[in-house]
Amino acid sequence: MLQSKAVLNGVNRRNFCLGGMSVLSAPFISRRSFARSGGELVFVSWGGSYHNAVLKGLVEPFMAETGIHVTMVDTPDLAKVKAQILSGNVEWDLFDSPGPLAATGSREGYWEALDTSRLPLSELSVQPTHDLAPFFLTAGGIAYDPKEFPEGRHPRNFEEYFDVRRFPGLRTLRNRVSETLEVALLADGVAPDQLYPLDVARGFRMLDTIKPSIIKWVEATTQTITLLQAGEADFSYSYASRVQTARASGGVSIDFSFGQTLNFLEYLSILKGAPHREEAMQFIAFALRADRQAETMNLLVNRPVNEKAMGMLSQKVLPWMPDINPGKNALVNDAWWAENYAPLERRFKEWTLS
Amino acid sequence: MTMAAMTKDRIGALCTIGPAAAFMVGIVGIPLFYILYVSFNGPHFSPSAYVMLLSSRLFFQSLWSTFETSILATVLSVLLGYPVAVHLARQPARRRALMMIMVLMPFWTSVLVKSYAFTIILGRRGIINTALSCVVGHKVALPLLFNKFSVVIGMANYLVPFVVFPVLASLLAIDPALGRAATLMGARPMRVFRQITLPLSLPGVIAGASSTFIISLGFFVVPALLGGRHDVMLANLVDFYTRETLDWPAAAAIGMCLLAVIGMCGFIATTLRKVRRV
Repeated sequence: MLQSKAVLNGVNRRNFCLGGMSVLSAPFISRRSFARSGGELVFVSWGGSYHNAVLKGLVEPFMAETGIHVTMVDTPDLAKVKAQILSGNVEWDLFDSPGPLAATGSREGYWEALDTSRLPLSELSVQPTHDLAPFFLTAGGIAYDPKEFPEGRHPRNFEEYFDVRRFPGLRTLRNRVSETLEVALLADGVAPDQLYPLDVARGFRMLDTIKPSIIKWVEATTQTITLLQAGEADFSYSYASRVQTARASGGVSIDFSFGQTLNFLEYLSILKGAPHREEAMQFIAFALRADRQAETMNLLVNRPVNEKAMGMLSQKVLPWMPDINPGKNALVNDAWWAENYAPLERRFKEWTLS
Repeated sequence: MTMAAMTKDRIGALCTIGPAAAFMVGIVGIPLFYILYVSFNGPHFSPSAYVMLLSSRLFFQSLWSTFETSILATVLSVLLGYPVAVHLARQPARRRALMMIMVLMPFWTSVLVKSYAFTIILGRRGIINTALSCVVGHKVALPLLFNKFSVVIGMANYLVPFVVFPVLASLLAIDPALGRAATLMGARPMRVFRQITLPLSLPGVIAGASSTFIISLGFFVVPALLGGRHDVMLANLVDFYTRETLDWPAAAAIGMCLLAVIGMCGFIATTLRKVRRV
């Protein structure tokens, strides 16, 4: 009793304030000390099953091999990158994002230049740019229920996807101009290697023809699968990895056509002025190594950019890898979108309203 | 009132509402001015974002759609929430507490899961259409999903509690003796409701409806998941400019326009109320 009173007496206003200040500033101080020790890295990536795949395939092995501690943060958000860079208070180091985001960041100058000499360039199917390292390829294409639409009754390529007479039924497309415009142009017979620069007017004309058959312009990626499951859509523009995951979870009758896919890249990039640039660069080099790519993509079911990793993939995921050889499939050109995205997205949104 | 009393009154006001006011200035007022500043392109003053918006069909259509959807969702929420509040007000306290928790149930489920549930209920092969098909005897496929209807239903599902609680509060504040007196004088239950319960609960209805309306204006995920291509809300547009194109002046200008319109609505509402009182 006496003792506690003495302690209480010891707390006067001045040292209470001092104590309070040090408590409040603790997170900043500790962060700074970590920065000096050099054993830290903040990695912004996606949540859910993606998070677990990247954690098991990349982050945990990286921490074990290098001793660098990686903090994973959910959801890459370019607005937050802009805010961090504008305020000069950069907290994130490594950014994991799909093409349009990565390329927009690149155009705005938000990324550090990469030391590409540390990457296994000869093994990569897609070369890095000065500030973007390709991470993997995703395949967009046609998903359907094989029970209801067996072979011959479902569209296999984008031309058939837009052919409502031969394949009657409701469809989905994404509620964004990128991907959608490419799909429309491929459906109209544009050669995959001659897509860019996109013939915008032709693409919109083609979209006009399918508008009445689109049940939903999908905002959330999960809906590309759930609308098919609920029977709201007969055919859905979705992704090979998502379809594989839905099948693997069991009991779902769903399949994906590899007759034609629109492939696009996911990138890794380092924030300008990031506190742990060196560690981030080390992580990118690690993530592009064949063994790491194979282990991560076995979980993510996307195509590695390191070609040597293709031979190390499990038999289970190998059939789900899109073809990247020149032919029927196309690759999204992110540099083109970085220049054209904003005005075209606005035009697309106005088009959907009309 | 004497001079001293007035000063005392002022000090009282300062002590009671002062802290909250200072807090609001800090966390709302200053950021709001910053957004206004950003909307005029920050240090390089220019009204270009506003000029762009004024020429944008997308902006005006979204603005209109936002108001239309918000009004419909508010009306539906009040219609659904009011009877619930009346029922709750009549329950003994303990059961009422239990039922109030049930009213909050919509908050327990993630919006993504709920949108999937609504797909199953409202879809072309959903519960309602299947049941109707059984009753009618041939296939019915009412367009209940991916249009304004499903957006309003989905929003009301979330908004009803915001009506129930303020209405319940004003219903519980009504002196039960008033109802008893009216009944003793021979008023039927319907008349008691019309002349006593309803007018005295109106402040709760107005509070509930206005907060529901304001919350609706910022709705974002429900229209994206359950709406059709016409159901673009202003919040979606703000998100588009903030995160996708990084055009922050445009996003800020949309926010300021929305604020101006809401402010105007509030002004008109208060003026009307004053006129009615006079």
